[in-house]
Amino acid sequence: MEFIQKKTVDSTVERFLAKAAEREVSLAWDRYEGQLPECGFCETGLSCRDCLQGPCISHPFRDSNKLGVCGKDKDVLAIQTLLRLVLKGTMVYLNQLSDLVEGVQSGEVKPKNKGKTDQILKEVQSLLSDGGIQIKKELPKAFIRSWEETGILPEGVARDLFKASQKLEGGVTDVEETLLWAFKSSLFGWMASRLQRDLKRSVFGEYPPAKIEVNLGVLRKESPNLLLYGYFSPILKRKIAEEAKKKNIHVAGVCTDPFIPPFSFPQVTSYGSQEIPLMTGAVDLIIAGDQFVNPSLADIAKEWEVPIVSAEILKKEQDIDRFARQIVESAKKSFDFRQNIPRDIPETKEYAVMGFSHENVDAKKVVTALSKGKIKGIVILSGSNNVKYTQDQELLTMAQEFLKNDILCISNGGASVTLAKYGLLNPAWREKNCSKPLADLLSSLGKEIPSILDFGEGGMLDFLLNVAKSGKKELKDCPIVACFPEANRTSEVTEAMWTVAIGIPTYFWPSLPVTGSVKAMEALTKFCFEKFGSKLNVITEKKIDARTKANMVLKSLRGEEGFDMSGKPWK
Amino acid sequence: MKVLIVDKNKCTGCHQCELWCGTEIASESKELYRAIHEEPHPVPRVYVEGKNFALQCRHCEEAPCIEACPNGTMRRDPETGLVYVYEPTCIACWMCVMACPFGIINPSPSVKVAVKCDRCRNMGFPICAEVCPTQALRLEDRKDYRKKAF
Repeated sequence: MEFIQKKTVDSTVERFLAKAAEREVSLAWDRYEGQLPECGFCETGLSCRDCLQGPCISHPFRDSNKLGVCGKDKDVLAIQTLLRLVLKGTMVYLNQLSDLVEGVQSGEVKPKNKGKTDQILKEVQSLLSDGGIQIKKELPKAFIRSWEETGILPEGVARDLFKASQKLEGGVTDVEETLLWAFKSSLFGWMASRLQRDLKRSVFGEYPPAKIEVNLGVLRKESPNLLLYGYFSPILKRKIAEEAKKKNIHVAGVCTDPFIPPFSFPQVTSYGSQEIPLMTGAVDLIIAGDQFVNPSLADIAKEWEVPIVSAEILKKEQDIDRFARQIVESAKKSFDFRQNIPRDIPETKEYAVMGFSHENVDAKKVVTALSKGKIKGIVILSGSNNVKYTQDQELLTMAQEFLKNDILCISNGGASVTLAKYGLLNPAWREKNCSKPLADLLSSLGKEIPSILDFGEGGMLDFLLNVAKSGKKELKDCPIVACFPEANRTSEVTEAMWTVAIGIPTYFWPSLPVTGSVKAMEALTKFCFEKFGSKLNVITEKKIDARTKANMVLKSLRGEEGFDMSGKPWK
Repeated sequence: MKVLIVDKNKCTGCHQCELWCGTEIASESKELYRAIHEEPHPVPRVYVEGKNFALQCRHCEEAPCIEACPNGTMRRDPETGLVYVYEPTCIACWMCVMACPFGIINPSPSVKVAVKCDRCRNMGFPICAEVCPTQALRLEDRKDYRKKAF
């Protein structure tokens, strides 16, 4: 089916789309068109494949198949679709944490702060077995109390993940109970991600925000380019960077952590256009993890004779040093082999200051600006790219609207890379992009502060907790809203869930697969508001443009009529 | 005349044709997320029979429904040859419902008219054929069997 929509607002990527059409390279956009129309039952959450008596649907228009074979009705089917996504998303964070722990325990790298590292390793054990004793002591009492009341206080892998996954297997339950199980798993994921950040900092050392380059121009013409795709063990990444430095090989990343001290990896492009760097001809080797990596890279890489190494295979090289050396050797060989392949590297490059954390952004100054009315609120921009939208357009337009309206924006992950490509993380453009009061606040926070603060892989919510503490308010009473304009991964669904569980109203696009059931949608709004003071907003209107979405969020921050939110005015 | 061929070897019984006919044609709001909650339910004009046969109006050359209709509500479009229900004059007598040998005419639950597939007269292309993931529903010329040489 045809799907006529502008593919991307990134002109560097657009330039390669015509080339791809000529060479008949299939990109994500072509495959999306081939998939249309996507199954209406699955899109609205009214389907289930959890057992072999299915697959079942709940047909909205016919009476004969309203219930699944086992008796699940449309409300349960819809909320369980959400639970499935959240469980998978939680495992993403647990996988990242356990990779790092394994790397540290193998002794391959000497931790900068041995005492703290040991403490955190013990805490990880405690998290897995009983939900983290130390973490519960550190978080504000109000959260612990409210989570205990609703029953969603994390209690360890067995109670949080195994039991939650059993909800999909059957049992007599209702929509609210299943939703609370989803929240329980997501909180477990949050704690895992906090521990991962702390462990990384204590092992590799603290690092201040640093300037890195983004976009296709970072690829070098005259030296081998080794690209890191997706997530895999930070220890391996550091070893690769060490070896690559010795051999003068340029290492860059796509959808991967930009900082592993003392190295930083320029970001070549964002999630939606991850197949494009291969088309420049300048990539000599790709080492790919699992999360965020498109399997289509294998075919496209063949066209340009680029070897792809998977970092996560069953029988992988146990000796990390040797693995890293092998990879760097292959990159060098590949560069020599590929001398004749023409390079077509666009010169677009942008600078971005990334890597802020709750320790180096002064929450008190932010609170002062909020109470004086200088800035009107804080918006979290998160998520990556989704082919259903024009790549980067939603994030960019919404960010620009917020910056013009005195809203402090913070971002993380893929959203940061997207915004960086358009100069929103470059301190040089701060005065141009932000309204005056916002620019004043930002310039008071430090020397090279960009329009939007990137908080890397964690620390964002801790910064907001600091803001709440300084302002002597509960987090759910602060004017903060989270926004996922172009989300697509399960880890982002989990992130949205835990953001709501700690009291920040969240807007998620595209709409979550719960729209088939009115009860499930009400559970995400009314029920969540009762329990946490915030809603997970599922917007079902399809054809609304980015500016309207931004206005929706702004209205929610101001607390105008019709938008129930927890961002009450600061005073 | 073009007809909708149903290929039972390709139909997987996925119900997408029913879902999208119901959303695009039968519903008020024409959007999936709204249509599924409408009361009364929109009635799709295509029926997935058995495991693998998506059946809709065959637009018969000699249509029993047109013969059975007492006041000319069921009529044939002279240009395209398609049979459709002219809703303003329908008196809900259900003679067509009884007469159809395929059983694809049904009373509407909300308004007193008979509903039947009209091959998406007001759209560019029949929606069921457009969304069918396996191309089990295809728009092709009706083969004139009488002209086949022996």
